[in-house]
Amino acid sequence: MITAPLATPKTEDRELNRRLRLMAWLCTLAFVVLAGRLWQLQVLRGELYLRKSADNFVKDIEIPALRGQVRDHKGRVLGDNRAAYNVYVTPRFLTPEALERLCGYLNLSAEQATAIKTRAKETRGLARFRAQLAVEDVSREQMALVATNRQNLPGVQIEAVPRRTYPLGTSAAHVLGYINEISAAELNSRREQGYRSGDLIGRTGLERQWEGYLRGTPGFERVVVDAKGQRKSADETRELLQTPRRQDPVPGNNIVLTLDADLQRLAERAFRRYPAGAAVVVDVETGRLLALVSKPGFDPNLLSGRLTFAEEARLNQDPYRPRLDKTLREHYYPGSTFKVVPAVAALEEGVISPDERVQCKGYHELGRRWFRCSKFHGRVNMYEALAQSCNIYFYKLGERVGMDRIARYAREFGLGEPTGLGLNGEVPGFIPTQAWYREHAPGGFRLGYTLNATIGQGATKVTVLQLAMLYAAIANGGSLNLPQLVERIDTAANAPVQEFPPRLRRRVAVKPVHLETLQRALAGTTHQKGTAYDARLKDIEVSGKTGTAQVRKMGKVRSEGREQFGMGDHAWFVGFAPTRRPQIAVVVLVEHGGLGGHVAAPVAMEIMRGYFEQVAPERRVSRRGADEPGRAADARPLTDLPAPQLKDLGPSPARAGVGGGH
Amino acid sequence: MPAFRKLWRGFDWPLALGIIGIVAIGLVNLYSATAVNQRALFQKQIWALLLGGGCFVAAALIDYRAYNRLAYFAYGLGVLMLLVVLVFGHKVNGARRWFDLGFFRLQPSELMKIFMIGAVAKFLHDDPTPQERKLSHAGIVFGMAAVPVALILAEPDLGTALIIFLVTFTMVLVAKLKLWHVGVLTACGIVITPVVWLGLLKEYQQNRILTFLDPQRDPSGAGWHSRQSIFAIGSGRLTGKGLLHGTQNQLQFLPEHWTDFPFAVLGEEWGFLGGVVLLSIYLFLILWAIKLAHEARDRFGTMICVGVAALVFWHVLLNIGMVSGILPVVGVTLPLVSYGGSSVVTMLVAVGLLMNVSVRKYSY
Repeated sequence: MITAPLATPKTEDRELNRRLRLMAWLCTLAFVVLAGRLWQLQVLRGELYLRKSADNFVKDIEIPALRGQVRDHKGRVLGDNRAAYNVYVTPRFLTPEALERLCGYLNLSAEQATAIKTRAKETRGLARFRAQLAVEDVSREQMALVATNRQNLPGVQIEAVPRRTYPLGTSAAHVLGYINEISAAELNSRREQGYRSGDLIGRTGLERQWEGYLRGTPGFERVVVDAKGQRKSADETRELLQTPRRQDPVPGNNIVLTLDADLQRLAERAFRRYPAGAAVVVDVETGRLLALVSKPGFDPNLLSGRLTFAEEARLNQDPYRPRLDKTLREHYYPGSTFKVVPAVAALEEGVISPDERVQCKGYHELGRRWFRCSKFHGRVNMYEALAQSCNIYFYKLGERVGMDRIARYAREFGLGEPTGLGLNGEVPGFIPTQAWYREHAPGGFRLGYTLNATIGQGATKVTVLQLAMLYAAIANGGSLNLPQLVERIDTAANAPVQEFPPRLRRRVAVKPVHLETLQRALAGTTHQKGTAYDARLKDIEVSGKTGTAQVRKMGKVRSEGREQFGMGDHAWFVGFAPTRRPQIAVVVLVEHGGLGGHVAAPVAMEIMRGYFEQVAPERRVSRRGADEPGRAADARPLTDLPAPQLKDLGPSPARAGVGGGH
Repeated sequence: MPAFRKLWRGFDWPLALGIIGIVAIGLVNLYSATAVNQRALFQKQIWALLLGGGCFVAAALIDYRAYNRLAYFAYGLGVLMLLVVLVFGHKVNGARRWFDLGFFRLQPSELMKIFMIGAVAKFLHDDPTPQERKLSHAGIVFGMAAVPVALILAEPDLGTALIIFLVTFTMVLVAKLKLWHVGVLTACGIVITPVVWLGLLKEYQQNRILTFLDPQRDPSGAGWHSRQSIFAIGSGRLTGKGLLHGTQNQLQFLPEHWTDFPFAVLGEEWGFLGGVVLLSIYLFLILWAIKLAHEARDRFGTMICVGVAALVFWHVLLNIGMVSGILPVVGVTLPLVSYGGSSVVTMLVAVGLLMNVSVRKYSY
């Protein structure tokens, strides 16, 4: 070492020697400092940095779980998955040349290219090392082109991912809903549930309601990547990861619906002449929904991808409101279809007998106001008044029953509150009371409000689904069912997970004999003089009620530039069939369609005929096989409905011992 | 060939073994650093070492006193080359540092390090007044250094400019200049710097230098390099991950690891022990050079040894300091370990001069 005295011939230069020695010491000191730093990094903090360097190359790649299928009652697939190829870019490694080449391979527009470039450029920090979705669902040819040119495309990855597909297109779109990428805000609140950036999540309809079942559990695979994010070979992976770990994903559950895809399409086709409307078909006995139409629909295949701005705007500004689920998300005036409620209220409260005749002169005078009827009906009883939809009869009946008693029975039949389907943010409807008018109307409560409420106008609002459940309850003798859309949940391997039996909401507190009266009256609608006589079916007897709801106020508000569409009355038909042993109830609403009997009734009839002739011919025949359908029913007079029929529906304490009535 | 015989008889084996040790470690390390996709660089480095070996012999053969006469001429030639390279140089990554000679890219700023040592040594040797050094002596030396430093900064190449300045400074300090003279000149330098900064450098050059000084200015660039390099060294722990098994290196998390960051590869694959072995050999080389400075038979030889010792010392200190995260990231190579032809040749010439002085220390 240099510390030994330096024997030198140049002893005259003591100062130089001193400085040389100093230099040697300082150099040694500096190297000791360097070695100390290495000791600190490698020995003291070695484990920490070993972990950090491992974090660099160890990546847990999520293996997405296959989303469960949605199937109809007969097992036909309504929501499915197919393989698609998505292109991802990693901003840190993406070069302008690579992006240019990529755009060429994929035929991207300048706008799309700019969007990708801007997003990549604006990404900061560590996120620059994360792959971003650039182009969804490229074709097989484009995928091959990108994959073979991988070497010239730094920062570009292509991956096969499952993509949601709805084979029936717009059919039942509102029921099925759609899925798309989870937003940043949702990600924060759902992180514990295992959602990651880029995951898909149900947005509306069943996809949203049953998200937890459909989604499945993603698996993961631990892999080794280099600094450019490229996966290394299996050999290298084995060498660097002592225990290569992989957890297989658990696919989501399949959901089997009560819907019948054939009926659904048939019902949608029945609307072909009208741009907007809704329909519900429900199984009378069980409350199972067989078809739910909301027109116009949308294509969930489109919405499950990335909508362009223009497509999104077009959907949202469409005056027919395609995104709205009109079966349960929108309030409508029920119009005359509501009349069964004041009728049953009057019977129950004993203020009228079904045979009592009331004079209709074509108008009704109340103070200075005149309430009009559709025509001069003469002296009508309840059967005729419902079948011919006489307003005057119901004005007089309404005066006797009073608003609050009507409201009580309306609620008894499930109006004014959501039916409990739990789909698409169902609205409750509204049934006014005197107290409500006292609080909200400018002049307080007046009798005129009761008259309006009696014929389903004024403040009375319902949903299409509520009416379906109400008429189903009339048809089945008083069981208000919970509407049911999901019949069963299966695993991906079709092992049953859970079955959902029909559920009764309540037995309505109405004497069966009064329901019988209503059934007889509603059968008259398709008979001579009835409002739906022209629309009657040859082979199937249908009971029901037409409605023509005035919407002028509503029309003014949102019909700008489309006077013709927004101004007309809503056309309703609500009914069930076959009359003698009802199987299904059908509600049809044609928005701004005009007269219910002329517009909505034919649509409903077409649906019913389609159901009994094509979809479920076996249900035309009575379960007991006792009566011959169609011909016999047509021939039989109304008043001759055989009495034992109601008892056949099954023993029930509520039905026993009734016979008196009014 | 009396020159060869002389070299053989006086051959400085400890010096030569030290150099061979460093070159061997450097080659093994470079083999690993270039294993993934830069195999061609390894072969080029071998050619450079062979060329450098020839230069080493040449530098050692001819009596260094002959160089004494050529020192100022060489300095002038170096400055001229720096001027020419600024205009006609080959541009890489926005910097003009190289002459493209086809098979070889010559970096004049590297050669300038040798010429600078020679010129300063000659000046301090020729000056006959060991007792009474004036302020002007120090001024002249710093003036000599300022010209190439300014030219190299303009390329821009902060690392090399810094090395030339530090080497000159060290030589002046050892040559008994009064400390307060040095202080005065440093103060002058501090005053002049903003003038150079604002007057001579273009904005993009300023930006480059600022980024060199402060990696945070470019977070995805230099800052990332620095962090990954620390991860690499630290994760090597005591004994390292083994040759070709450094994940930071083989999976390319270390950028430019064959030029400025080879020590990160060494630290990762050979651990603390490997790093300390290399550091020890460097320290031995430096101390040996200082010993030779002491034993040299004239002041020119002494100053050359001091210059070469300072050259090696500052290179190692700045490079390892930068790689281990205690100094800012400036592009300084690790002598005989970094990839780079000009750097290798320069270093071998420099240690060749040490051998030259060593061989002739006792013979008159």
